[in-house]
Amino acid sequence: MAARLLVLSSILTFSCFAEICYGAVSFSSLERTLVVTASHRQGLLIAGEDKITVAWGLNQSFPAGTDSTYRTIKVQLCYAPISQVDRAWRKTEDHLSKDKTCLFKIVEKPYSNTNETLEWTIERDVPTATFFVRAYALDQHNNEVAYGQNTDAKKTSNLFDIQAITGRHASLDIASVCFSAFSVVSLIGFFFAEKRKGGKGQQ
Amino acid sequence: MEISSNGAETQPKFALPVDSEHKATEFRLFSVAAPHMRAFHLSWVSFFACFVSTFAAPPLLPIIRDNLNLTATDIGNAGIASVSGAVFARLAMGTACDLFGPRLASASLILLTAPVVFFTSIASSPVSFLLVRFFTGFSLATFVSTQFWMSSMFSAPVVGTANGVAGGWGNLGGGATQLIMPLVFGLIRDIGAVKFTAWRIAFFIPALFQTLSAFAILLFGQDLPDGNYKRLQKSGDKQKDKFSRVFYHGITNYRGWILALTYGYCFGVELTIDNIIAEYFYDRFNLKLHTAGIIAASFGLANIISRPGGGMLSDAMGKRFGMRGRLWTLWTVQTLGGVFCIILGQVGSLSASVAVMIIFSFFVQAACGLTFGVVPFVSRRSLGVISGMTGGGGNVGAVVTQLIFFKGSRYSKETGITLMGIMIICCSLPLFLIYFPQWGGMFCGPSSDKTATEEDYYMSEWSSNEKDKGLHEASLKFADNSRRERGRSVHSQTLPSNATPPANV
Repeated sequence: MAARLLVLSSILTFSCFAEICYGAVSFSSLERTLVVTASHRQGLLIAGEDKITVAWGLNQSFPAGTDSTYRTIKVQLCYAPISQVDRAWRKTEDHLSKDKTCLFKIVEKPYSNTNETLEWTIERDVPTATFFVRAYALDQHNNEVAYGQNTDAKKTSNLFDIQAITGRHASLDIASVCFSAFSVVSLIGFFFAEKRKGGKGQQ
Repeated sequence: MEISSNGAETQPKFALPVDSEHKATEFRLFSVAAPHMRAFHLSWVSFFACFVSTFAAPPLLPIIRDNLNLTATDIGNAGIASVSGAVFARLAMGTACDLFGPRLASASLILLTAPVVFFTSIASSPVSFLLVRFFTGFSLATFVSTQFWMSSMFSAPVVGTANGVAGGWGNLGGGATQLIMPLVFGLIRDIGAVKFTAWRIAFFIPALFQTLSAFAILLFGQDLPDGNYKRLQKSGDKQKDKFSRVFYHGITNYRGWILALTYGYCFGVELTIDNIIAEYFYDRFNLKLHTAGIIAASFGLANIISRPGGGMLSDAMGKRFGMRGRLWTLWTVQTLGGVFCIILGQVGSLSASVAVMIIFSFFVQAACGLTFGVVPFVSRRSLGVISGMTGGGGNVGAVVTQLIFFKGSRYSKETGITLMGIMIICCSLPLFLIYFPQWGGMFCGPSSDKTATEEDYYMSEWSSNEKDKGLHEASLKFADNSRRERGRSVHSQTLPSNATPPANV
């Protein structure tokens, strides 16, 4: 019994360590070695129409060879703190596997040592919220090893607002109204039919 | 097939054996014979459709909350709104059934709430979302018409079973929708619609289903085995009753209030769990939303056998031990449900939690079925009002429980669940107070008073004026048929059930 307990507990502990090895990276352990900027037109950005120009590259003040382990770069659209209030499904957690700050992928491509830019049209499933841009550098095991973002550490500067599409269409609105009217009218029609049938006397 | 011995004219032939009120004494699940089994299938399918519509939003919330910019507070409020609308709607529905018949009452409600489901497709803000969930929730009042219709079509030996299966299979909609809506949404999105449009189109499915089920009721259903209320009232076979009298006799019957309270702690708990359990598993055990959703659905899907099981158990206990057996079984099963709820809040491992949740779901849903094995006997004249009070009480229980234990962050969800279990046990105790003079209660036997018969109990709802006009005939027949609630050992000693009752008329 004791031996079985020992085996079970060691398996559990081992799997915890394995998890740490294989992906439960914590954000606070990452170094901010990338420089990321995002530029866009003035005012409220419209999903599906407006574009954001994202640029990223290694911060040259770091020694050469810092990026030796970087294999992939993943650029994401992330929620600013104000859009996370009272919304636990967007919560920031230190463990990156549970972190829900950055839910929209802008681009994921192999890492190259040069500065890169991309013009990205805001996708139509982006909700109405305030955002910033963050880039993660991933190693060969797809674990995050470094990051960069276009805002400061407290996520207060360089934020931008995006307005989502409504998802509504005129045809949907018309269909809703028509079907609703049909339900009510058919009910009234049915009552009239019943009354008339009843008026004709007993069957 | 039996022909009633009352009445001289030729009796209509029924596919199932019937009693003197032409209510079926057998329940044949796979038949669609008019009027009994057809009414059964129409009522459970339409109730199922209403449940699908009412709980269609929760599985799609991850999309809707982004589209409409909802906060957790908005979502919580909409959830409470969705079950609070039905509180008064159920009471109103009960009265409407007594006055206009279940066919017209339920079809009208379904067709009047279908537009709201269509309008969900054009919701554009947290306020409009709350409003559509609130008004869609009114459709859950079809529960009352379902139970009323079954109590009108099926006789005492099988009324618990009929009520239990119809109610349980309707409640199934709450679980099925957690599987249906994401599927429909996925299909529409794969066809090419963008996410924020796909969920809107998806809502047309429950709305159309609801509308079609209402048409089916109007075209193929009838209120009573002998016909519809209007026609029977015209021919004089059914008396048109007065709203004020029906309402008065319903709300002054203390048993209705006790059952309303206790139903709040089986059905109300079921609704609460429907709203919180997916999040509970998702947060506590770090499951994927999809997995948490399947577990949540299985709670509702247990209804396919648990609630009918409760109804059948009630009928079996009623056959052997009479009304006292029905009451004792109800109290026992509901209290055990409370015990398992406490355990659910305490267990810390995923597999134990799922196992306890499934056991808990069986007990709590069986208690719902057992409750509606007792309700048909509380009143004959005001059956609808009593059904409405009990049904409404269920929703009140859901609202109160969610407000006390599951709003904000006062209690963790597991503490809330444990406390809810304790509340179930406490709120089931009033069952001890239910007493029928002719059958007894949980602790007391039937009264030995000469005036404590089934006829006296049901005739007490009619004044002598009304009896002079002969308005009470249906209640008299029912009293006669309900004599089996004395239980097997006593039943054989009672008067022959076909004799016309003495001139109390």
